[in-house]
Amino acid sequence: MTRKRTTDTTPEGESAGPDRSDSWSSKQEPVGVPSLGLRGTLLFLWRQLTSMQTALVLLMLLAVAAVPGSLYPQRSVNPTLTEQFLDENGKWGEILDTLGFFDVFSSPWFSAIYLLLFISLIGCIIPRVLVHLRQLRSRPPRTPSRLDRFVGHTRIELPAADPEELLGAARKRLRRSRYRTDLREEKRSSSVSAERGLLRETGNLLFHIALVGVLICVAGGQLTAYRGQITVIEGDGFSNSLTQYDSFDSGAWFDSSSLPDFRFTLDDFRATYDTTQTEENFGKPLSFEADVSVDADGDQFSQTLQVNKPLHVDGSSMYLLGNGYAPEITLTDPEGNVVASGPLITVPLGDTGYTSQLVLKAPDASPEQTAVVGYFLPTGTIDDTGPHSSYPDLVDPQVVATVYQGDLGLDSGVPQNAYEVDLSTLTPLTAEGSDDPLLLRLYQGDSTRLPDGSTLSFDGVKRYAAFDVAHDPFERWVLIFALTAVAGLILSLFVPRRRVWVRVTPREGGGAVLEVAGLARSDDPSLADDVRALARTLGTEQDRGAGPGSTNSPEGEAQ
Amino acid sequence: MIDQQLAEVSHLALVVAIVLYVLALIGFAADLAGTSQRRSDERLAAKDRARAAVPAGVGGGAGGVAVAEPPSAEVAAPAAARGGMSAQTFAFGVSAVGALLHVAGVAMRAIATERVPWANMYEFATTSSAVVMVAFLVFSVRRTELRALGTFVLGPILLLMLAAQTFWIVPAAKLTPSLQNSHWIYIHIGVAILATALSILGAVVAGLQLASARHEKVLAAKVAAGEEDPEHWGRVGHVLDRLPRSVSLEALSFRIHSVAFVCWTFTLIFGAIWAREAWGRYWGWDPKEVWTFIIWVIYAAYLHARATGGFRGTRAAWLALAGFTAVVFNYTIVNTVINGLHSYSGLG
Ligand code: HEM
Repeated sequence: MTRKRTTDTTPEGESAGPDRSDSWSSKQEPVGVPSLGLRGTLLFLWRQLTSMQTALVLLMLLAVAAVPGSLYPQRSVNPTLTEQFLDENGKWGEILDTLGFFDVFSSPWFSAIYLLLFISLIGCIIPRVLVHLRQLRSRPPRTPSRLDRFVGHTRIELPAADPEELLGAARKRLRRSRYRTDLREEKRSSSVSAERGLLRETGNLLFHIALVGVLICVAGGQLTAYRGQITVIEGDGFSNSLTQYDSFDSGAWFDSSSLPDFRFTLDDFRATYDTTQTEENFGKPLSFEADVSVDADGDQFSQTLQVNKPLHVDGSSMYLLGNGYAPEITLTDPEGNVVASGPLITVPLGDTGYTSQLVLKAPDASPEQTAVVGYFLPTGTIDDTGPHSSYPDLVDPQVVATVYQGDLGLDSGVPQNAYEVDLSTLTPLTAEGSDDPLLLRLYQGDSTRLPDGSTLSFDGVKRYAAFDVAHDPFERWVLIFALTAVAGLILSLFVPRRRVWVRVTPREGGGAVLEVAGLARSDDPSLADDVRALARTLGTEQDRGAGPGSTNSPEGEAQ
Repeated sequence: MIDQQLAEVSHLALVVAIVLYVLALIGFAADLAGTSQRRSDERLAAKDRARAAVPAGVGGGAGGVAVAEPPSAEVAAPAAARGGMSAQTFAFGVSAVGALLHVAGVAMRAIATERVPWANMYEFATTSSAVVMVAFLVFSVRRTELRALGTFVLGPILLLMLAAQTFWIVPAAKLTPSLQNSHWIYIHIGVAILATALSILGAVVAGLQLASARHEKVLAAKVAAGEEDPEHWGRVGHVLDRLPRSVSLEALSFRIHSVAFVCWTFTLIFGAIWAREAWGRYWGWDPKEVWTFIIWVIYAAYLHARATGGFRGTRAAWLALAGFTAVVFNYTIVNTVINGLHSYSGLG
């Protein structure tokens, strides 16, 4: 290791000292081929796996492996986009899918990298913890016989100082600066060996151990957490049970009886939008607020939910994550039977104006099943780009739609998305004497008679809000471990680890020679200054009685 | 309400700051060029003296970054002797005024919008470049030898400011609801700005370290081959001679990057807390999250490399630059091309 280290530009700070024997670097460069045999091979592989080089390579691999997870649409993040990508890319998409590029973070290769990394980490920490514990209990290492090779070496002749007193003062001073000290009697001198900054290694170990804690708690969360989506129209309620969710995900160890018992009603949903007449600002949302009346186990209260202001009930939290319009539409068949009615959830397409996809299915219509497909426009306009909404609020709400008849395919057994319809088995109604599909445009309050005698009416508009209900029992622990890790990291990076030696040699004819030097065990730019300052203070303090003739040379380098 | 007039003044201040930065850049560059010119003349003498001075500096084992290079003292002298203001002093002064306007511009943007000035790419860029400038000026007020790095700091900053002015500029506006009602916008993004600024500074130093190390190696090889007065990279080489040695740059780079790494760690953690408050999960592999994770892992690799035999120094510096590349990617491509939940670039 030393050999390689010196070939590069090595900062002088750390490896200035000759010994690093008791540092963590028990991992020598592998020397030649290991002795054969299963045990030997396994030991060799283990050594390799837990070496710094391997950790380094695995870290870089982890970074590289995460990249495709941001470039390709991930199933866990946005399944719709993933499907769209697969549709557009045919064979290529399939290959990528087989390789796991749409589930990067749960793919075998990504998992392999981080599991290896953490095995390596554990294999690396355990021996270091043992070494460190031993070090914490041992005395600071012996004072080297020659101090002049070390940082900030200062030698001062103090003809009027008392050696005993000088040594005592040195020790006291070092102790006050939080050094562990040890007095050593030597042949012709005595010395104080002092060490500080074992906290650095403690912090480093704490950091790595806390990372393992983070990983374990994240995994624990994966197994026990749940998350469900719900959509509630103004005036409607929701009561927390699995059947009520639009979609629900949970870990393998999730127990549905742990869902907290609560219900709520969405009393009102309000949105405000920017009316500043600039292209960038106009129509940008300013606030979303959902007033809910909650009944949690008999405890009743009202609350206004906002983005970043979730509702917390019994360990679960409910987040306001979306909203849209639910126009009240009624379809009456030629006999006068209402075949579909009520507020209908529409899906915003994502433009500023909230142009929303509308799909009304009437499987009970006769003689044929009927679907109304089109757009709901809060502020409707139709121009050459087609029907769209120019402002997100309800200024001029309109429904623009085409009516289809035929087989809705609801009996085929294939699960269907309530907000989509397969048009391939349906035919559009056409205006009398024309082949073009009939495009209906209804304003709020309108009612129109279709060519087949049915009636479609647009009676009013309600808003709806979309919420996520989620709980991860481990997230608190993830946070605790993460914060522990940073605390450890800060200690590990910024606590200087150093040794300082003070040697006092009685002078022939009275007085003493003071020698001070230090060794940086980490990046430590102020060590030299600190050592010299210590020498200077000790010198002036202990040499009070000295006459003007004393040779006091604080900057004295080694002779 | 948004004070559009004040926003205009803020914009004006930033534009003037850019102009001043251009002047300062010219000053710093002229200083370096002038140095290399004079160096050509004084090279022989200076080299001899420098060589004599080196063993004392290194042998002392001080491990300090602040070891002023013998040549720089050499060069500063003539300008002072002439009694005029050196190009460097001029450049330093102009960039200080520029930075003052820059900070004022950012502050006015904040006042005009009644919120923190970091809600879109334009504001994030102007704020983080202001942090870099202030950091550079603060570092080099007393450690004058760092002023020689001025060209290399102002260059990237100008690039960033110009990109902000041309590609990312958006009118002053209120916060979108997803950024409202949360003090995490102060904490999370504030720390992210600090982290980004430190990454920029760190990358500048790491880049110079690489150039310097290469330069020193070639020169040393030439000396070993018996060349009396080796030359390498011509004028550029002279500029490098003027900068702190690669060993000092390495130490400085490490110090900057270790603070940066702590900031990135906090950015991750605070981001996770905010994500949990806003979306109900602390981590969701959103592209922005993925890239912050990548940055964090690369910088962790850098810190490891520094402690791994054979990777110290040059190879570790390449990792630091890889980390910076990830920062740039996260900032540009991820914000504008890849769409995730964190779409706050404000660019439609
Ligand atoms: C989960 C992946 C890991 C991460 C994110 C990580 C991160 C870090 C970071 C940020 C540091 C810098 C702190 C410092 O310099 O004191 C560090 C230091 C260190 N890590 Fe890791 N580490 C990981 C895995 C490992 C593994 C597997 C090993 C064992 C081979 C290891 C051994 C060390 C050592 C020995 C240091 C101290 C280096 C020094 O003396 O400066 N780490 N690690």
